[in-house]
Amino acid sequence: MTTLVLVSHPHLADSTSQQFLKASLPENTDIVWEHIESQAHLDVAKEQEQLRQADRIILQFPLYWYAAPAGLKAWEDTVLTRSFVYGDHRYPLADKELGIVVTTGMPAKAFQRGGAEGLTLDAALAPLAAVAHRAKMTWLPTFAIHQFAYLEEPEKLQLVVDYQRYLTQTQPDSLQARQTWFAQKLPGMIDQLPPEQQATGRLIEAEFAQQQDDIEALADTLSLIKERDDD
Amino acid sequence: MTEQSQWLQLQIDKLAEQQTKFTDRAFWLALKEMVREQDRRNDQLSGEVDGRTWRPDKW
Repeated sequence: MTTLVLVSHPHLADSTSQQFLKASLPENTDIVWEHIESQAHLDVAKEQEQLRQADRIILQFPLYWYAAPAGLKAWEDTVLTRSFVYGDHRYPLADKELGIVVTTGMPAKAFQRGGAEGLTLDAALAPLAAVAHRAKMTWLPTFAIHQFAYLEEPEKLQLVVDYQRYLTQTQPDSLQARQTWFAQKLPGMIDQLPPEQQATGRLIEAEFAQQQDDIEALADTLSLIKERDDD
Repeated sequence: MTEQSQWLQLQIDKLAEQQTKFTDRAFWLALKEMVREQDRRNDQLSGEVDGRTWRPDKW
């Protein structure tokens, strides 16, 4: 699966959250990363080709006045031409997934009716969701990072993997999808361990797979019982 | 929590501690959280299987 990450930030180098996310990009995966404002001139053909090649498109930005930064709007207005998105009825973006990674200076609880912002993130991002709808894309649940500066180390560690999963894991984010993501990632992670740690890594991998099988067997048993109860 | 899962979490913790790269440590610690989630789901499913099997009204 190819994921295209389009980052919009007017001062990327000064943003600790954006630098953190960049350092967290999963390795050994098919990810194309681009900073929109770094492009001196937007090459429309290249940008459209990148979109065509991607299976999942991520728009990543800080929330400025309940919207994406101006750079992203300029990108939309330049790259997402009417004929490209829907005009010729070919819909090249159809069925691709569109995900939003948004950072906010206010806490999650502010983004609800009665909260300090009085507006949900879904409401603020409605124009982007409408673009996805027009292009026949699949809108993913938004990945919001609130008050990055206040995150403690355990939260930052968890954020690394949550972000990687948002970029590369099958959606919807179910227990099964999460297990599969970890199971696929494990062999590569074990390979890069120092030799003396690899045996432990492999034991962990085997035990993890066993737990996964146990859950599957229990779920099967349960569905059999439910079927019988329905009779 | 099963003994197996306890052992697994301990092994993952040890491995995570030995990782110098932040993103590597993040992976192993997230795997540990994943194992905890597996454990919870296992308990819940086992409980539901027991509950549905133990039905005096069906005796």
